[in-house]
Amino acid sequence: MIGAIWESLHSGSLWQPLAFVCFAAIVLASGLLVVLSRNLLHSALWLLSCLAGVAGLFFLLGAEMLAAIQILVYCGGIVVLILFAIMLTHGLGHTDVRVANQQLLWGSIGAAGLAGVVLHLLSQESWTMGVAAEPVDVTARLADALLNPYVLAFEVASVVLLVAMVGAIVMARAEPE
Amino acid sequence: MSVTPLPPIHGYLVVSTLLFAIGLVGVFARRNAIAVLLGIELMLNAASLNFVAFWRYRGGGQMEGQVFVVAIITVAAAEAAIALAIILNVYRRFKTVNVDQINLLKG
Repeated sequence: MIGAIWESLHSGSLWQPLAFVCFAAIVLASGLLVVLSRNLLHSALWLLSCLAGVAGLFFLLGAEMLAAIQILVYCGGIVVLILFAIMLTHGLGHTDVRVANQQLLWGSIGAAGLAGVVLHLLSQESWTMGVAAEPVDVTARLADALLNPYVLAFEVASVVLLVAMVGAIVMARAEPE
Repeated sequence: MSVTPLPPIHGYLVVSTLLFAIGLVGVFARRNAIAVLLGIELMLNAASLNFVAFWRYRGGGQMEGQVFVVAIITVAAAEAAIALAIILNVYRRFKTVNVDQINLLKG
C-alpha cells in the first residue's frame, strides 16, 4: 500500500489529484467563509485565499500565465481595493448585528436548487474529451492570440479600463462644499 | 516524467458549480453592499474556472478559453473600481451601505 503510494508519487501520477483536492478544498472552504463571515474584513481576507486557490487550479490545468495574472490583478489589486473601501465606509472590526437580509431563506433555496440541477446534469453527461499531452508554449500562444486574432478585444479591454478608471476618480472625488 | 493523468473534468466542474452557488447566496442574502460585491467576484471566478477547465480538456489547441478569462479579469477590475466608487458615494449620502436601508426609489 505505502509502496504503491510512494511509487505513484515518484512517477508523478498521484500529486496532481492530490493537489487538485487540496486546492478545491481551499477554494470551497474559503468561499463559504467569505459568505458566512460576520466581520466584513474577514470576508475580504477569505476572498484572498479563495482567489489564490483558484489560481492554483489554473496552474494545475496548465495555464501558468493566467495563474500569475490572477494573483497579480485579483489578489494584489482588487482585494486591496475592496479592503480600502471597507475601511473607508465600514470601519475596522465592526460587526453587524444582522448580516443577512430577509431573502436569506429563498436565496439559499434558489442557489441550492441551481447547484442541484447543474450537478444532476453533470452526472448524466459523460465527458469523454481527449486529454492530450501537456499543452506546450501556452504563454507564447496566449500572447499570439491576444495580439493577432483578438487584438480588437484586447484594445476594447484597455479602453474599458481607462473609462472605468476615469469614471471611478470622478465619482469618488469629494464634492466641493 | 511521464504524462500524468489529469483529474477528470467533473471535479473542476463540480468545484465551479459549488463556488457559483456560494457566490449566489452571498449576492442574495448579504446586507452589506461590499459583501454583495464579494459574492459577484466569487461567481466570476467560477466562470473563469469553467473556461480554463474546458480549454484544457479540449486539448489546449485553441486559446479562446484563456482569452475569455483575461477579459473576465479585466471586466472584474473595472467593475470593482466603479462599484466601490458608487458605494463610497452612497455611504457619504446615507451613512450606511446596507442594501435594504437604501430604498429611496421604493414607493
